[in-house]
Amino acid sequence: MTTAAATKTEISPNLLSAYRRRDIGGYDELLGPGGAPRPHWQPLLASLDDLTADERQLRTTRLARRVRETGIAYDIFADPNTSAQRWTLDLLPIIISADEWSGLERALIQRARLFDALLQDVYGHQDLLTAGILPAELIFSDPAYLAPCNGIVPRSGGLMFYAADLARGEDGRWRVIDNHTETLAGIGFALANRVVHTHVAGDIFNGCNARRLAPYFQELQTTLTHHSGRENARVALLTPGPHHEDYFSHAFLARYLGYLIVEGHDLKTRSAQVYLKTLEGLKEIDLIVRCISGKSSDPLELDPTGFIGPSGLLRVCRASPHAVVNAIGTALAQNRGLGPYLPTLAHHILGEELELKDAPRRWLGDPDARQELFDHPDRFSIRKAQEGTGRPGQAALGWEARALATPEREKMKREIALHGATLVAEEKIGFSCAPIHGSDGLMPKPFAMRLFVSKDASGSYQVMPGGLAMSVDPDRAVALSAPEGQTRDVWVLAEGEQAPHISLWRPTLATARIERSQRVIQSRVADDLFWLGRYSERADWTMRVLRGALRRIEEDSAPDSGCRAARKCLEILFGKDLDLLARGREAKDDAEIERLCATLIAGGSGSRTLERTLDGLYRVAHLVRDRLSLEAWQTLSKFRSGETWREALNSSQPVEMLDILDEGIAAIASFNGFMHENMTRNFGWSFLDMGRRIERAQNLGEAILTLFIPLPDAEELSSNLLLLLELADSFITYRSRYRLDPMLPLVLDLLLLDETNPRSLSYQLSAIARHLESLPDSSPGSELPEDRRLIIALLTSIRLADVEAMAKEDDGAMLERLLMDQLDMLPELSNEISRHYFNVMEEAPHRAQTRVDPTI
Amino acid sequence: MIFEIAHKTHYRYHSTVVQSLHLMHMTPRALSGQVVRHHNLLIEPSPASRQAGVDVFGNPNLIVDIEAPHRELLILSRSTIEKHLPPSVKLSATTPWDALDFRLLRAANERDVHVLMFRCASRLTTPTLEIADYSVRSFAPSRPVLEGAMDLIMRIYNDFEFDPHATDVSTPVSQVFAMRRGVCQDFAHLALACLRARRIPARYVSGYLHTHPPVGRPKLQGADASHAWISVWAPESGWVDLDPTNGILARDEHITVAYGRDYDDVSPISGVLRGGGEHSVSVAVDVNMVADATAN
Repeated sequence: MTTAAATKTEISPNLLSAYRRRDIGGYDELLGPGGAPRPHWQPLLASLDDLTADERQLRTTRLARRVRETGIAYDIFADPNTSAQRWTLDLLPIIISADEWSGLERALIQRARLFDALLQDVYGHQDLLTAGILPAELIFSDPAYLAPCNGIVPRSGGLMFYAADLARGEDGRWRVIDNHTETLAGIGFALANRVVHTHVAGDIFNGCNARRLAPYFQELQTTLTHHSGRENARVALLTPGPHHEDYFSHAFLARYLGYLIVEGHDLKTRSAQVYLKTLEGLKEIDLIVRCISGKSSDPLELDPTGFIGPSGLLRVCRASPHAVVNAIGTALAQNRGLGPYLPTLAHHILGEELELKDAPRRWLGDPDARQELFDHPDRFSIRKAQEGTGRPGQAALGWEARALATPEREKMKREIALHGATLVAEEKIGFSCAPIHGSDGLMPKPFAMRLFVSKDASGSYQVMPGGLAMSVDPDRAVALSAPEGQTRDVWVLAEGEQAPHISLWRPTLATARIERSQRVIQSRVADDLFWLGRYSERADWTMRVLRGALRRIEEDSAPDSGCRAARKCLEILFGKDLDLLARGREAKDDAEIERLCATLIAGGSGSRTLERTLDGLYRVAHLVRDRLSLEAWQTLSKFRSGETWREALNSSQPVEMLDILDEGIAAIASFNGFMHENMTRNFGWSFLDMGRRIERAQNLGEAILTLFIPLPDAEELSSNLLLLLELADSFITYRSRYRLDPMLPLVLDLLLLDETNPRSLSYQLSAIARHLESLPDSSPGSELPEDRRLIIALLTSIRLADVEAMAKEDDGAMLERLLMDQLDMLPELSNEISRHYFNVMEEAPHRAQTRVDPTI
Repeated sequence: MIFEIAHKTHYRYHSTVVQSLHLMHMTPRALSGQVVRHHNLLIEPSPASRQAGVDVFGNPNLIVDIEAPHRELLILSRSTIEKHLPPSVKLSATTPWDALDFRLLRAANERDVHVLMFRCASRLTTPTLEIADYSVRSFAPSRPVLEGAMDLIMRIYNDFEFDPHATDVSTPVSQVFAMRRGVCQDFAHLALACLRARRIPARYVSGYLHTHPPVGRPKLQGADASHAWISVWAPESGWVDLDPTNGILARDEHITVAYGRDYDDVSPISGVLRGGGEHSVSVAVDVNMVADATAN
């Protein structure tokens, strides 16, 4: 070790004084038996010692902010009725010495090989069951055993990904407290933690000479490409969707590896192939990285109660076994009841000693184990043998026999006798502790950690040199049960120099190929982007109109006309409903206007209130989160995580409200700016922009109709013209062009006809026309698609309009007809685009079953 | 005996089905005592692809893709089946049910996974404590396993009422037990839950039953039905079929299509559709005896 920090040997006693005061028992990762820090923690302690307490606190704060901005901490778009998932990342990692790591690495690879072989057998010849080395009822009672997968798993290469949760007992030995063989088990969280931590404490990381993760993921990419059997493989990560607690991990990983993220209904299967539904028709998928549970992978042949995976996936796997990793059915190997049988299995299958044991457990399908439990109920806690894989830390707590009263105990005994094959009894093993950064400095805190294993290109296994550690409550937990979501990074120290830093975010020319082709756009994503465009424009417009109204009451000069103008503004938003809301009264005073503003912001059932619009915006942004640039995402999440923003808006006085609206408008503008600057101009962009343009055209049309039909008197006319220019953000354009007070024909020309003004109606329409031209026609034929016909009609009607003639008319009949035409056709255009590109014809899938229903 | 079976299923959809995918168990399997002389399956509209296979239990199955938009789906299965009387079984001479563990696990010979898998509860046959209590009365210690099983299905036959309106495909067995009513599929699941609560190997059988018209009346066409019953294992006899809906041992008028752990494994037609909205289905089954004895 060559860094200055590493060579420093004297650590100031203050750094560890709080840690030493709190001895909480268990194995101490940091301090050796003599009370001196273990050597492999020295470099970290030295780096920390170089920082002042304030600097350490500052970095902790910065970590919290980065965690929030990255989106790990809060599922900010989750249903507000569900409790937020908590996630914090400590400044202090868990340090593992190179020596200890090589033992763990060997042991985990052995376990992956063992589980792989076990799965091959259980889904193949079942020799282990026939010979009684593994109890058949342990396997067949597990709902994760998927009988239709027999014969598929052995041909598919079985277990690609494996993860293990480890805890160190009082005796200093690591034990596996849970196995994960279903999916990638939250590896994206570990990766995100590392990315965030490096941003804040990269210097400390470098000072410790800890191993980087990038080479592991590079190997993983190579392996998956190799597995798919094609050079430019189209790889997709199949997720249950944004509502799933693990979605962050899926999206983060997909983005890091450059893979598509897809949901079941994006896919279609034919006999031996999976296809992605895209704007350009069906595209072949070469490999699915499965992040959904095995039993929900195919509603046709597996669990008939859900529709998460694409129906027919299993028959694709039967024909092309390499199509899905992990193979469907692998969750079987994470059954907790297997623990006691692993040493024998290792002997029998691998001819090796099992290097790392499971925490002591009994499978309650075994009558002897049941008897032992009934004889010593206080020693054990009882848990399900099988548990789904979700967000790390969510393992259910055990069921404590000693906590039960006698009648309940009797009932529990009978339940165990009946369902023992699905249960395990386990003893506590304790957890080791390591320092976290607390308010008084370093504090000991027990933890468990998840380590990740995957196949490498040669067909053997590799272990990610890092992991995900979480703080646990040692009195309650036996598994990685950490609902507090306090996480730590895991640093594995390197022996000697490391290869130069490579990140998959910034591939070198050697590892990347130049790719200009469009990233494939799923029809569903196009739909979501279209609505993202509409909602962001609608949010901006709503806030502008509200601001316009409030400004007019604040202008003291002419209270009456101010009030009238403000009411006009609101009328733009409410449309015909205004009379209803105002209960037929003319708005006479400021208070009434404010009441209406409040209604517009949060109230009632109106579909266009600001509240509803923002909800819609967040909802669709969440759905396409992996398509948004980090900055765009952060802008939105900052805005939203200020729930205070909304509260302030609801409770404040008009003057403050104006400031708050300004803030909101700025946030949306910067979101739009990031989207505009950062998004590649592919079809996805076209849909986002079309959504925005349609919304803008419609808002503008409605505003002009409200303000000028019927034609107001001269005084109101000029006030309305100013208002319109303000709302359409075209005041400066007008002034620089005319240097005159606003006049109706000039304003109409600028906002209706001028195709160079990005705020004009015709600009929106011609932009939409250009987008539609560039899109692939999914059903080419001689007939013009309806969406193209509509845009031609819209553009023609506006281009032929004669604004001077319109302005001369007393009743505004021509202007009204033009606007009514536009406002009729715009929603139709929106519907036609949906129909043409988004498969709206396809309802959600559903089942039809016949029932055995005899008439005897 | 030789039977000709016609099983017609006709779906009518409220709106157009854009695409559908169906998994079928409609082809009777060949078994000892059951010869499939002829079978064919007509599907309209004609599927874009048909993948025939054999599932892990040995049942023939078929996956069909229908890619043409359709408002109706017709599936017509025709079979000619030759049935022989099963060997007679002395129920009281079977192994005591509580000695099965020894016979299945401790004896030195190889374990038969195809028996062991049917001792375990499945999604549709998970027993509750109440169901376990109900079953215990048929299984006094040391009672021969098939004698107990026969007693159990007779109790179900007597205690439960056949009622096609009380349940549907998704009614859990616990609810069937509480209501004391259901159809043959429910009674089969209940019997399986009872037997598996005692860890007795038992499987679900889907098939047809040849029915007799009331004396002096002609047999009505389409009045037969698909049927479900169970099969229980004893070391002496192997699998023996019992029909809890009718309270009888199955003889040569029960025609087996498929067996599995429960209905999920062998559902005659299970489809996933896009589009279609509401649907109605009409099923007509005719089982006609064409020869009384085996034609040699």
